[in-house]
Amino acid sequence: MIVLRLLLLVFLQAFLLRDVSPLGEWTRPEWTLWALLLIPPQASSFLKLGLGFAMGLALDIALGSYGQHMVAGTVLGGLLPAIHRLFAPREGYEVSDHPILRDMGSSWLVGLTFTAALAYHLTLMLVSNWYWHLIPGALLPSLSSAAFTTLCCLVLHLMVYAPDRRKSST
Amino acid sequence: MRNLWLLLQRNAFTLAFIALMAVSLSVLLRNDGAARSSWFHQTGSVSYVIDQQRHGWSNYLRLAEQNAELAEENADLRSRLLSMDLAVEWQEDTVRHWTVRSGMLIKGPDGKPRSSSLATPGRDGGIETGMGVLSGGAAFGTVEEIGEAHCRILTLMHTGTSWSCRIGRLGPVASLGWDGVDMGLLQLRDVPRHVQAQRGDTVFSSGYDLRFPPDVIMGTVFDVERQSGADFMSVTVVPAADFTASRHLEFLVHQADSERTALSSTDLRP
Repeated sequence: MIVLRLLLLVFLQAFLLRDVSPLGEWTRPEWTLWALLLIPPQASSFLKLGLGFAMGLALDIALGSYGQHMVAGTVLGGLLPAIHRLFAPREGYEVSDHPILRDMGSSWLVGLTFTAALAYHLTLMLVSNWYWHLIPGALLPSLSSAAFTTLCCLVLHLMVYAPDRRKSST
Repeated sequence: MRNLWLLLQRNAFTLAFIALMAVSLSVLLRNDGAARSSWFHQTGSVSYVIDQQRHGWSNYLRLAEQNAELAEENADLRSRLLSMDLAVEWQEDTVRHWTVRSGMLIKGPDGKPRSSSLATPGRDGGIETGMGVLSGGAAFGTVEEIGEAHCRILTLMHTGTSWSCRIGRLGPVASLGWDGVDMGLLQLRDVPRHVQAQRGDTVFSSGYDLRFPPDVIMGTVFDVERQSGADFMSVTVVPAADFTASRHLEFLVHQADSERTALSSTDLRP
């Protein structure tokens, strides 16, 4: 299921949502991150790392980029266990916890999504610019893009896991 | 082995992360020209700084060794300087009754082991058999035979003769000769093993063979070879006279030559 979701989002980002960027480089969303963030926090660290790498690889193939997404995806996959630990509740994650609004709450969801998006965008910015003198100019656009990616992920989240749907299902 | 396996197991996630990062970065560097050039630029700068630092440390650690090398070089340079100071052209020595007569070389040595050279003047110019011959203030040979207007010279480049020399002005006497192989190199034989000689030292005539006064430059030491177990060492000498381009000669005349010859050839009787 996770893999299918990942492939679907890669496809969507590469072929349909590629040009959804209202303010140019200031708002460049990474829709696929949402699939990665839906991995349960209790899942194995290796699974998170492997899926991060796979997501980057799939994005590079689909977008025709030269390994930037692979590096950024691997970094995010490697950091995701630490980010999950950082945002873990005091008593730890329950076995039945899912990384959705209903189980984890809005502050957890927004904080985790923004942190992950920030890590991803900053890495992407570093490997896209490479030269130190270009990085200060690219820092603010990556911060704003991370914020926009967070917004997009939350919109997707609300679309898929809408509160009213949750109520009807229960 | 077991400990290694446990260590790998404990850090499996870090190792996996490093491996995947290496794969990703290698793909990136292989395909992205800007990334590649920046990577080489950055790594080049870092390796330059590290290399400079390492070079500085190694220089600091090698100070004693460098000091020894410098001291050795300094000694070598001082020795050469001393040799240059000593290597002065021989001048006419009226105090010790040596005068010169000028002449001209008309046939020089041709590199064959026993070739003779011809020069002018001969008997009519006051030249006599056994006189020493200089070229440019350095030893060239000796008069072997004289004609009316010409003379035949036995040069240093002749395998049939030897010359009494010493390394430096105060070294032990040794015999200088040519082995007939390389025209640019003479051989100094019978040099005791204990003699301190090194490349660049000047070889002077001893004056014992009566053909040259003492301290005429014969050449400079080119190589010193001490063979294990031998009492003497072999010294190769570069002649000071240029046998391929000499033109003007000086014939050495001793004012009491006939008396010296007579005395040296008389048998002593008790």
